[in-house]
Amino acid sequence: MSTTISATEERAALEGIAREVARLADSAPKVDLPDAERVRRAKRVFIQKTDASVALDLESCLHCGMCAEACHFYEGTGQGRYAPIHKLKLLRKVYRRELGPFRFVQKLLTRDLTVAELEQWQELVFDSCTECGRCDMICPVGVHLSRGVHITRQALAAAGLAPAELRALDAQQQGTGTVLGADVDKLRGALEELRGQGIEAPLDKPQARYLLLTTASDLLIYRRSLAATARIMNHLDLDWTFSSKGFEAANSGAVSGDEAAQRRATQRIVDAALACGAKFVIVPECGHAYPALRWEGPNEIGGTFPFEVLAMSELIGRELESGRLRLQSLGPTKRVTFHDPCKFGRKGGVIDEPRRALAALGVELRETESKGTTNYCCGGGGGVFFIGRAAPLRSAAFNIKRRQFDATGADSVVTSCGSCRMNFAVGAQQNNWNTPVESLVELVADNLAAPETGRGAVA
Amino acid sequence: MTLLDFARGPAMFWATTIMVIGIVWRLAGAVLLARHKDRSTPRGDNRVVAGLRAVAMRSVPPHELEKHITFQHITGYAWHLGWFATFLFFGPHIPFIKSILGFGWPGLPNQPIVILAAITLAILVALLVRRMVHPVLKVISDFDDYVSTLLACAPLVTGIVAFAHLFPSRHETMIALHILSVEALMVWLPFGKIFHCITGLPLRFQIGAAYARRGVKA
Repeated sequence: MSTTISATEERAALEGIAREVARLADSAPKVDLPDAERVRRAKRVFIQKTDASVALDLESCLHCGMCAEACHFYEGTGQGRYAPIHKLKLLRKVYRRELGPFRFVQKLLTRDLTVAELEQWQELVFDSCTECGRCDMICPVGVHLSRGVHITRQALAAAGLAPAELRALDAQQQGTGTVLGADVDKLRGALEELRGQGIEAPLDKPQARYLLLTTASDLLIYRRSLAATARIMNHLDLDWTFSSKGFEAANSGAVSGDEAAQRRATQRIVDAALACGAKFVIVPECGHAYPALRWEGPNEIGGTFPFEVLAMSELIGRELESGRLRLQSLGPTKRVTFHDPCKFGRKGGVIDEPRRALAALGVELRETESKGTTNYCCGGGGGVFFIGRAAPLRSAAFNIKRRQFDATGADSVVTSCGSCRMNFAVGAQQNNWNTPVESLVELVADNLAAPETGRGAVA
Repeated sequence: MTLLDFARGPAMFWATTIMVIGIVWRLAGAVLLARHKDRSTPRGDNRVVAGLRAVAMRSVPPHELEKHITFQHITGYAWHLGWFATFLFFGPHIPFIKSILGFGWPGLPNQPIVILAAITLAILVALLVRRMVHPVLKVISDFDDYVSTLLACAPLVTGIVAFAHLFPSRHETMIALHILSVEALMVWLPFGKIFHCITGLPLRFQIGAAYARRGVKA
């Protein structure tokens, strides 16, 4: 199966996106607020988000510093301020002064939160944290560190102190429902391209059992992934559609900490799913979109979804397990390693399914030393990819990942997240690293086993 | 009233009272806060098992994590074990424990216990120095970290001094200081990071269950 977009075109598209990302900060809406108002808003979020479970975290830290040893940004730079627990300092400060059992004493002994502190923490919770959750796996008492970082992001966002690039993405998504210009016209154009290749790609079917989402990275760069996803859906003979009302899986608010933006993006998808009566919403290869919809979505909307949210790799794994999907074996001469996107894996629970697909493909899987729940992040997750000044930090994290990959001796890296692929592509260019990074859905789609039972998956 | 009488009497009473009330107050202040409801549909239904697994397995992280924290891990567990072994199995402590619990157990010979106490103290001092020079620990440490470590050292120092009869004419005073150092630790427990002895295991359960909701072993 050939598609019209080539690897060279993908690289050119990626470079175009990189240039657009570099200009993002210029288009960020200005947030003019008095300092006192910024502090008030941040404190309100800290207080609202601190429930008994968070309080127990904040009452239990030993200050042992082990969390830093799991953090790629600390490991890559050796700078103590990147210790995950340090990133929770403002949350703990507000908790102790406003909610904690000894708040009366704390108010006498400590100073109130300041704008200077909030500004200082922007680098710590945005640039130098992808919320990958690896630190959550090492803490000897079990402090949920990544949750505390996210609360701090939300507090900074409420104070208008999220990084300009992420505020720009929020503004874009508020206006168009999507980011980086991947609007409904781009979707229509991409689907026409698929149809031109003989791939059935329904849009706005009045009723469908599966609502398929896509994302800016697939529409603008990885069109082969988009095609692959559609081909797999067709091969499985599933009743599916895209919706022009809610097709963007990316959720800028989930990374910027802007809850209103997160809720709006989630609501678009929920409305689109309800409109077509979908029983399943399929998240494409877009890491953060999965926990944003699957795990945080119901809490944002305020109720359990009447549909199931599945990652594309999760759907593939399920269909393989049920026997409805079979793949041609590539044979053990193809040696690959798998990169678990943090948001699908550690933060999502989709760990076994991609490996089931690789097993079905018959490839030799050479695991990195840290894999699954202890996998290292690509370095650009959680919106860090978009933050210009974070480039040196991303590079430091990328090099840890690269060393892990190289140690496996694999010929290529397979992953199931377009954002990870983008980050690897940029890192590879900057560090002269030539190992190919492949998409799981593309590998699966290119090796669908006959007999064909679906509708025109192969042109 | 001698200093020893004071240490064994009113000081012990008030230290115990402050410790118990402080623990209850701090724990209640945290756990009685509202709890946000998670409306997502859980992937797994074995969250209790996962929580209990985390309680046990957090002590034994996977190799790829453990290799970065081996020194902290070994020294951390070593000094805790040494401290409690000294407390529970040093012969002269056992009648004291029996007077509270109503039952006791055989102690270990004094010499090995004193050596163990000295090793424990050496580890604590090494960790204190490390805290002052390590790039992460320097940043994250505060008053509580230093006070808690010094208060954990104090019973070992006073105990070794008393046992060794370094001040024979003041032996009774040294015993009193030893008891008072333990009482200082008891008073500090609800206010400092030593409180993790109360919350540590429940918190391990909490994170194990939270990740199990998503189908992840934490």
